[in-house]
Amino acid sequence: MSTSEESAFWTILSYLIAGLLLWCGIGLLVDHFLKTNFFVLIGMAIGLASSLYLIWVRFIRIDSNK
Amino acid sequence: MAQPGFEPPGSGDFIFTPIFGNSILATKPVLLLFFSVILISAFFIVSSRKAAVVPSKLQFAGESIYSFVRDGIGRDVIGHEFQRFVPFLFTIFTFILTNNLFGIIPFMQFPTMSHIGFPVSITIFVYLVYHYVAIKKHGLGKYLKDMCFMPGIPKPMYVLLAPLEFLTYFAIRPLTLAMRLFGNMFAGHLLLMLFTLGGEYLLGSAWVIKIFSAISFSLAIGLSFFEMGIQCLQAYIFTLLVALYIAGALADEH
Repeated sequence: MSTSEESAFWTILSYLIAGLLLWCGIGLLVDHFLKTNFFVLIGMAIGLASSLYLIWVRFIRIDSNK
Repeated sequence: MAQPGFEPPGSGDFIFTPIFGNSILATKPVLLLFFSVILISAFFIVSSRKAAVVPSKLQFAGESIYSFVRDGIGRDVIGHEFQRFVPFLFTIFTFILTNNLFGIIPFMQFPTMSHIGFPVSITIFVYLVYHYVAIKKHGLGKYLKDMCFMPGIPKPMYVLLAPLEFLTYFAIRPLTLAMRLFGNMFAGHLLLMLFTLGGEYLLGSAWVIKIFSAISFSLAIGLSFFEMGIQCLQAYIFTLLVALYIAGALADEH
């Protein structure tokens, strides 16, 4: 694996973890205070979507501009 | 046939009692750590003492490790400012490599980095260094602004992306850095222990089963070589990612 592929791999993984962790956490907090149970799922979806969007912006869009 | 059951190795096998005295500094991992520092220092002092234009074998070995880190990791990743980070990268690489390799050297047979405290403390240094480098170069405000607000995306999306970038830089990066090294070393050591202890256990059974003991032992030996590859690779990846984080901190835009 070349250096840039290696770095891209770990950056992508970091973004995925960060997105899920952050928005799942917010969802859990909202659930906790509102006594509901579905905000964690919404949080998960938002987290994953924003992670994927960020990965697209960082890796795919820049590459196609070149 | 009342035989005691096989007890598989677990996380309890990673807890050591002090070899002498009651101090926590006298446990096997810490002693190995001190030994690695002495070993690395001695090796590079001896290999560079009689530096000659036509290098001896030892000098050649020392210089190839150094140039591997300087050219292969430092210059390729960081770019023109790489020279002042080479000592840092070189120290991290040799330190982790030596401590990892202890995992398969007979009589030591414990990778120091399979105790979470050691990768974490290295990561704390790395964390301080790459944030310090970035803040010194760009200033705190510009650093955070560049980090969270990348150009060229619609403004409402910043609500989603800015906290994500912030979290990645300040929490996920150091976390994955430490956990990856720890996890690889922990799992590798556990695997080797399983095959060695399993082979030993099978040896005490009926003679038919002793054949499987031989298989288990030979797998343990084979996996030791496999582990050696992983140990080198993990030291390399750790150093590479440190270089990448420093390169990202020095870059004009993230």
